[in-house]
Amino acid sequence: MLFVDKHRPKTLESLTYHHELSSRLKALANGDFPHLLVYGPSGAGKKTRIIATLKELYGPGVEKIKIDSRVFTTTSNRKLEFNIVASVYHLEITPSDVGNYDRVVIQDLLKEVAQTQQVDLAAKQRFKVVVINEADHLSRDAQAALRRTMEKYSPNLRLILLANSTANIIAPIRSRTLLVRVAAPTADDIVDVLKGVGKLERLEVKDGLCKRIATESGRNLRRALLMFEAVYAQNEVVKDNTPLPPPDWEALISQIADDIMAEHSPQRILYVRAKLYDLLTHCIPPTIILKTLTFKLIPKIDDALKADVIKWSAFYEHRLHLGNKPIFHLEAFVAKFLRLLESFLMDVDYDF
Amino acid sequence: MPQDIRSFFAPKGGAAPAPKKPAPPPAKPAKRGRKVVESDEEEEEVKPAPVKKPAPKPTPKAKKEEPIEDASAYFAAAGKNKITRTGPVRAAPPVKKNITMKKLNLEDDAKYLDDDDEDYGDDIFKSEYGKAVEDEPARKKKKKDDDMDLDDYKDGDEDDDDEDEDMDDFVDDNDEDVKPKGRGRPAKASVVKVTPKKPAAAAAPKGRKRKSITPEDDDEEEEDEQPKPKRKATAAAKRKTPVKRKEVEEIEESESIKDILSSVPTVRPPTPPPRDETKKFNYHAYKAKAAAPPPTGTKDIPVGAENCLAGLTFVFTGNQQSITRDDAIELVKRYGGKVTGNPSRKTSYVVVGSEAGPKKLETIRELKLKSIDEDGLFALISKLPAHGGDSTAAQAAAKKAKEEEKKIQEIAREMKPNTTVAPGKEAKDPKSQLWTVKYSPSSMKEICGNKKQVESLQKWLQNWPKNLKKNFKLPGVDGSGLYRAVMIHGPPGVGKTTAAHMVAKMEGYDVLESNASDTRSKKLLDTSLKGVLDNTSLMGYFNTGDKKVDPSKQKIVLIMDEVDGMSGGDRGGVGQMAAICRKTQIPVICICNDRRLQKMKPFDHVTYDLAFRRPSAAEIRTRMMTICYREGLKLSPQAIDSLTEGSHSDIRQIINMLSTFGVSGKEMSFDESRNMATAWQKHVVLKPWDIAQQLLQGHMFAPNSKKTLNDKIELYFNDHEFSYLMIQDNYLKPHPQRASNYSGAEKRLKELELADKAAESISDGDLVDAMIHGPQQHWSMMPVHAVFSTVAPSSFMSGSYGGGHMQFSAWFGQNSKQQKLNRYVKEIQSHMRLRCSADRHEVRQFYVPIFWQMLCRRLEREGKEAVDDMIELMDDYFLTKEDYDAIIELGVGPLNEKSLNVPTAAKSAFTRAYNAASHPMPFMKASNVIVPKGKAAKKDQPDLEEAIEEDEDEMEMVDEAEDAVEEDDDVDLSKDKYVKQAKAKGKGKAPAKGKAKGKKAADEDEDDEDDEPVGKGKGKGKAPAKGKGRPKK
Repeated sequence: MLFVDKHRPKTLESLTYHHELSSRLKALANGDFPHLLVYGPSGAGKKTRIIATLKELYGPGVEKIKIDSRVFTTTSNRKLEFNIVASVYHLEITPSDVGNYDRVVIQDLLKEVAQTQQVDLAAKQRFKVVVINEADHLSRDAQAALRRTMEKYSPNLRLILLANSTANIIAPIRSRTLLVRVAAPTADDIVDVLKGVGKLERLEVKDGLCKRIATESGRNLRRALLMFEAVYAQNEVVKDNTPLPPPDWEALISQIADDIMAEHSPQRILYVRAKLYDLLTHCIPPTIILKTLTFKLIPKIDDALKADVIKWSAFYEHRLHLGNKPIFHLEAFVAKFLRLLESFLMDVDYDF
Repeated sequence: MPQDIRSFFAPKGGAAPAPKKPAPPPAKPAKRGRKVVESDEEEEEVKPAPVKKPAPKPTPKAKKEEPIEDASAYFAAAGKNKITRTGPVRAAPPVKKNITMKKLNLEDDAKYLDDDDEDYGDDIFKSEYGKAVEDEPARKKKKKDDDMDLDDYKDGDEDDDDEDEDMDDFVDDNDEDVKPKGRGRPAKASVVKVTPKKPAAAAAPKGRKRKSITPEDDDEEEEDEQPKPKRKATAAAKRKTPVKRKEVEEIEESESIKDILSSVPTVRPPTPPPRDETKKFNYHAYKAKAAAPPPTGTKDIPVGAENCLAGLTFVFTGNQQSITRDDAIELVKRYGGKVTGNPSRKTSYVVVGSEAGPKKLETIRELKLKSIDEDGLFALISKLPAHGGDSTAAQAAAKKAKEEEKKIQEIAREMKPNTTVAPGKEAKDPKSQLWTVKYSPSSMKEICGNKKQVESLQKWLQNWPKNLKKNFKLPGVDGSGLYRAVMIHGPPGVGKTTAAHMVAKMEGYDVLESNASDTRSKKLLDTSLKGVLDNTSLMGYFNTGDKKVDPSKQKIVLIMDEVDGMSGGDRGGVGQMAAICRKTQIPVICICNDRRLQKMKPFDHVTYDLAFRRPSAAEIRTRMMTICYREGLKLSPQAIDSLTEGSHSDIRQIINMLSTFGVSGKEMSFDESRNMATAWQKHVVLKPWDIAQQLLQGHMFAPNSKKTLNDKIELYFNDHEFSYLMIQDNYLKPHPQRASNYSGAEKRLKELELADKAAESISDGDLVDAMIHGPQQHWSMMPVHAVFSTVAPSSFMSGSYGGGHMQFSAWFGQNSKQQKLNRYVKEIQSHMRLRCSADRHEVRQFYVPIFWQMLCRRLEREGKEAVDDMIELMDDYFLTKEDYDAIIELGVGPLNEKSLNVPTAAKSAFTRAYNAASHPMPFMKASNVIVPKGKAAKKDQPDLEEAIEEDEDEMEMVDEAEDAVEEDDDVDLSKDKYVKQAKAKGKGKAPAKGKAKGKKAADEDEDDEDDEPVGKGKGKGKAPAKGKGRPKK
């Protein structure tokens, strides 16, 4: 098993950073447990923290999890297959798996869970916990469906919403939950974790390498651990300056950035489009593509342009969320960038 | 040569001037006439003109001398011609011919003027052959001139004592001419008048000019090709033929027309590029060129007199400056001109634009056609009087029109009884009838187009009883003898039903018709037709035998109209119909629009297929004119043609249009007919490719385009789901028109700017699209979407399309691929779910690359050795072999699927090892549960159970899994792959459980043992396991 999952901390006590948060969660688990909205960047340890909290709530029983497959029927008679990860005490769902039909799942499933009381009298808590992953990808309808349920069934049900940001979560939900922010670990935190893992695995840990991984990973602990493992898996001898291979998609994006810089013409946009399509089809989220591309381009251009490029990047990132077809907006960004760059190089004022 | 001819005619002309024509103003017209000649020859028209003006009146002597000289020269030339024939200038004789023809056409008047004759010699030759000079040595040119002179001269002299060949020609000509004359064509009349004193023979050749041009050409060519020795013998004859021709053609234009024609600026067509025979025709190059840049300039298109181009034939080549080809063609047609695709001898003008086709230019040069540019065309239109004035061409056209009119009147007269009789039978007031019924054809003669098909239909029906006796064994001449039924198919309104009815009537059959208004399900067909199919006509049926019934009355034909309309309610109708066609005892005529429909498959090899095509405009015209005449409508043939074009030769629609029009008006102009045709136009839905093509490479956005924004939006609506995607896929490919004025770096910047604007607009469009297809469903915003997503981007980027193909939108393919891979990721994530907490994006972004490296790449690098470690890792994460393949496919960029090259040995070793071992599964998919009947469904339950247990002592599991694998090896696995896997799972977990709960493990082992015996026992064996699992939950 990979290091990330092998050495995942199981209890609140064994978490190595954000100690204050850990103790607060512990206090909540032992007192009156509210609905939670846990948010923070990916790889910060949200889920790990939640599992540890659940363990604090119910004891080791929550670790006995299984995957259950349920079939829901939509109003249009479509059958939806939906996976639920469940223990006796809690269940964990990812409604965004079913796209636009998430409302159906939320309505049916939550009601079902909420309407039955805890059977096990020996259980520590009277309520069950439902963990909703990717809560920020819930459609408006699904979020609306949550509102009343959260109040009405609170004796039987507690919700823990996991999200990357609270931006997409409607205000009524936010007001009904306790917001818990799990910040990304600092570089030092990551280095500590890496060293700890190295020690457990009896690896020769290089200080410099760990620091490089920590910065390269963008403070994403999961990514850092996977990079750490990749380095050790691919190299016999690991040194401080061992190259860190970027993930495939990131390599392709830097290639795109090079392509864009190499030639400024409509044909080049066409050429880049093919690669963008490639990334999209291989399930790289468009926002990640746009963000990564922007940050790959920024070092290559003149300072005077940077502000504008960032501005347009943000502009089209917003559109990615509003629109239907991400490729249109990605391409528009590339076109805009090329135009900006070309008019800058030719010293022509570009009037916005 | 013209002067020679003139000399020939001179006495006559002098004696009896053309009565119709005004007395020729001596000096000026002559000049004009000459000018015209020059302009015809596409030379520097203006310069020679002044020279000619002052030219003194000729001395007859000089004239006479010339021919003699010429004669000798001619022979010399003739010899040379022979020799050089194969050379590049081979076309000498045709050249000659053309020149004469054209000139003649234009100078009708001048020819008859005495004073003209003299100065012709030099001036004309200079001007006429100036062009030839360019290409040929002057000497040669001279010779040619000479020989023409000779021709003319000869003509004059020998007119009556021509040789045999000539006589033959004459006879032919006469034949041809007599008829038109009899009908009194006005144009011809004038010609005849000119030569009143001449014997018929003389007049005939003149009249012949128009008609017999081609045969003559043939003659000449034939002669040319004769071997040398013979040539001399026939020399005289040869000489004469061209002579004759010239004489014939010599019809001069009236002064006014000459004025006009001479004022039309001509252009010299560019010399055609040398043709390289070895070079293959490059379609892409051609296409690239064909995608002409839209016209850039704008000019006011003049308004001319009605029908002013009558009788003139135009050919367009190249791109005009300010008018598109289509518009130009329409313009010419509007004024009664004719437009043909390729230049020929009959072409009056070639309108040459930039990048004219080399082939056409060659022809122009060969035939010495008059070429003008668009200004010339406009000048013609604005200056020529109505109906082409009294120009020869116009007169010819007028004559033809008159003839046609006469014919129409005749037909109309003939038609009278038919129309009155038919309604009389049914005792109907003809006024209450639809025109389509009123004027439906009642005889073969009246059918418009598809004559052959109707004939074969008739023949089939005729032979039907005969074939029935032979039990349809003999195919007959046209193969129709094998079929009991006929299937007529073709577009609507071409007369399929009419033809069927008419033929039935003509052959004396009673018609039993069934169409889409009747229900025709299998059952109904069966019951209603059963009685009919082997019956005779009712009239015959009830005849008790005393009276001999008219044999025709015993016959009955079944017409199944609109067979492709059998649908919905007519369940099984088509199949039943086909079955009926196979065994019917009476003839069956089926009619449908589209034979190739899948639905019509049952009729294959059952019916004799007759395809009706759309009749041509010419086929329809007479009939329509007849109807108009009978109804007292006044429509020009052009108007009819435009109606025909507008309705795509739908006769019924045209008649309906006429009928509608007849209510309100009596006279329809070309414009009205055009408007009407467009108003009635059947809506044709464009294909996505056509939409993109029209928008991106068309002339849609040229400054002089007349398309409105609505027209462009309309294009989007032709296929609103595809059009914008097609634009999105292709908008970067054209070379934008808007950047065409820039060059170098500026051009590139401009192009980028346009691309950026277009891309931004497309991006805007997507936001609108989200509003339309989002939860709010703002469908009313479709036009906005059309503008943002389709029209605006094309407006920026439209331009010539550099040889590339319009691509179909890649979006669909990419989207479905994305969905497929997305499914893979979800699958992988759900398998890994018990081990890692990452969501599917995280799994894709961080886990997949590392798996790719640690599984796929490793297998590639290390081969067999890596297999064990790989399987272990996969089992840790519950990954299946399918997931492994999915991971390979999910790699992108450097981890591309194609960059992976796993040795086959390693691959098969891995597959073998994987299949040999059993693997833990986190759960069974709900959908999978149903697949294997019963037993598998029960089996997956314990797996869930075990999954829980596994987690209980997760750490142990790692060790145990290995044990499990080992243990599995000695188990005899059942043949079924699926069963094997499920069982293996049970096993794999069993030991793990064993550690956790001894008792349970024992149960499980029992179960497993139960399984092994194979077969039915399994299902039962698992059932208890399930039972155990439940309560624990």
